[in-house]
Amino acid sequence: MTLSRARLWVLGGAAAAIGLGLVPLIATADSVSDHALWIELDLVIGTGFAAVGLFAWYRRPDNRIGALMVATAFAWYLLVASNTDPSLLFTVGNLLNNLFVATAIHLLLAFPSGRLETAVDRVLVGVAYTATTIGWFPAMLFMDPVAFGCTNCPDNLLLIDSNVGFANTWLDVLGVVGIAVMLSVLARLVQRWRGASTPLRRTVTPVFLAGGTLMIALAVLLAVGLFEPWEDAVTKNIFYGCLVAFGLVPYFFLFGLLKGRWIRGRGLGALISWLGQAHHAGELREELARALGDPSLELAYWLPDSGQYVDAEGRPVELPHPGSSRAVTEVERDGRRVAAIVHDPALLDDPELVRAAAAAAVLALENGRLDAELRAKVEELRASRSRLVEVGLSQRRRLERDLHDGAQQRLVSLALTLRLARERVGGNAGEAERLLDRSREELDQALEELRELARGIHPAVLSDRGLAAAVEALANRAPLSVELGEMPSERVPERVELAAYFVVSEALTNVAKYASASQASVAVSKANGRLMVQVSDDGVGGVDVERGTGLRGLAARLEAIEGRLHIKSEAGRGTTVCASIPC
Amino acid sequence: MRETVLIVDDHGGFRACARELLEADGFKVVGEAADAASAIAAARELRPDVVLLDVQLPDFDGIQASREIGALDGGAVIVLISSRDLSDLARALAECPARGFISKSELSGATLRELLV
Repeated sequence: MTLSRARLWVLGGAAAAIGLGLVPLIATADSVSDHALWIELDLVIGTGFAAVGLFAWYRRPDNRIGALMVATAFAWYLLVASNTDPSLLFTVGNLLNNLFVATAIHLLLAFPSGRLETAVDRVLVGVAYTATTIGWFPAMLFMDPVAFGCTNCPDNLLLIDSNVGFANTWLDVLGVVGIAVMLSVLARLVQRWRGASTPLRRTVTPVFLAGGTLMIALAVLLAVGLFEPWEDAVTKNIFYGCLVAFGLVPYFFLFGLLKGRWIRGRGLGALISWLGQAHHAGELREELARALGDPSLELAYWLPDSGQYVDAEGRPVELPHPGSSRAVTEVERDGRRVAAIVHDPALLDDPELVRAAAAAAVLALENGRLDAELRAKVEELRASRSRLVEVGLSQRRRLERDLHDGAQQRLVSLALTLRLARERVGGNAGEAERLLDRSREELDQALEELRELARGIHPAVLSDRGLAAAVEALANRAPLSVELGEMPSERVPERVELAAYFVVSEALTNVAKYASASQASVAVSKANGRLMVQVSDDGVGGVDVERGTGLRGLAARLEAIEGRLHIKSEAGRGTTVCASIPC
Repeated sequence: MRETVLIVDDHGGFRACARELLEADGFKVVGEAADAASAIAAARELRPDVVLLDVQLPDFDGIQASREIGALDGGAVIVLISSRDLSDLARALAECPARGFISKSELSGATLRELLV
């Protein structure tokens, strides 16, 4: 609910005009015995709610509390109007003379967020509004002021028949409903106070104290009213007690606001003096928590490289979502995101203070951010190193298995065949010849497998003749047609060439094994200090990087030289493997 | 009477060589198997005198297979074979019912017969 400043002035002017306009009417009312008291109540309570409400509304236009306070001020004037002589004012005032209790209940239950958080609260407020408006109507139809002992009172314009018995019974029913509502509201206030966090409790305590007292006083008043006539001294005194508690609500609200600001302001001073001294990283959270009076406060630092928030240890953290039970204030420095303060939403009743604390601590936060960034880097390096070791181990295992299953088996078969040939050479010369031929084939295959294996460990052609020649050799050996695109003319550092070579080799192996492709293309180019490698095919696509050990190994290898692997592989649309390696 | 042999190895090339070699030396090769599960089934069905069992098989360990084959009726002599060195396998060999071990490249009718007497 937002209103322009001008409209707030208009509302303030209206409240003042009504409050002041009622003064002469009260002063001249025949039906009222204590004129001075009612004039004071009119001005003190009405002005209190209107002024504090407008102030709150101005400061937090999105929070309904200010509007509720202003509404309570106007409802209050209705009760005051019932103490004047014009019949219309008297009648309307009497009909709605308890509406201020309903707005007060709404205010208390909605404090401080401005929203009614639970269904119970909504029901209580609904009952209160109904009972104090429509609920009063039937009683008004039969309530003749004269029959109730007020001989000087003006006419009740709604009167259709004077029936004291009915009116009293009806008021007793409303009284019982009222007692139930007051006690329920009291229970909700106690429950909410007990469940409140430290900063929230600091805000709500004074208001809940005044509101709780009001509820108790009203319940007592209604209970006494069930047995005593409304106009006798006992009920009147309890009624005035209620008004004191009621009148204190806006002032206690203001007190809570100022006290919170004062405590936090003092905390801010302490924070600034702490920031002026030499200090250790890690204490910053404690100091901010103390300054803002929120022990649950947490800090998250922004890492622009990886685009995520981390804690002081460099571990990734998720910020709470909007609408959750935690609030987030982001901290920027020269337009760059530095950190986020995760805190109790109660602190948002003074967002400038959180921002002021953040602004004061921005250098310390920047230091904390650098610290966290360093830790995150160290953690990343550690993980990358252990991935690399893992890749190394699995490559050695694969090498052993390839040797064992390939060349070694061939050589074993060769040994056996030669043994057999040796036995035959004296007797069956033709058979011996056949066995020797087979030995020769076995030997050729063993040699080919050893060459293949050696290339897998380190491709000699790469060191001798460069990346373009090595990629061409890979393309020639591939079992499908490979189109060669751009190739770098100059040499780049060997570790970069080697990484690029293995990207092409692994990608082409995968194409041949899984892609069912008819064609592949390879291009390598150098741009902006990086070597870009791209291998595309027209196959089935749908590659899952996480599941392929070859690709994961490749990614880990590239990571070690700060390269990046990117794979685009939609099902049915081929696969493109891209690597970018700084050189 | 010629001893019957079941050859268990996952490399077809090796099985073919071994069959030729052993048959030339007077053994009768009654069957071949490429993994442990079919080796156990073949041993149960064919009742060979000798099972030549590769230590490394694709489904499960040859040592474990040797225990299952050793537990069958008929008392086949189990001889483990491998292209690995005996020193790698000494411990496993001691704990299984195999009669002995022959390095694959040393395999011949004569080396096998030495273990059988």
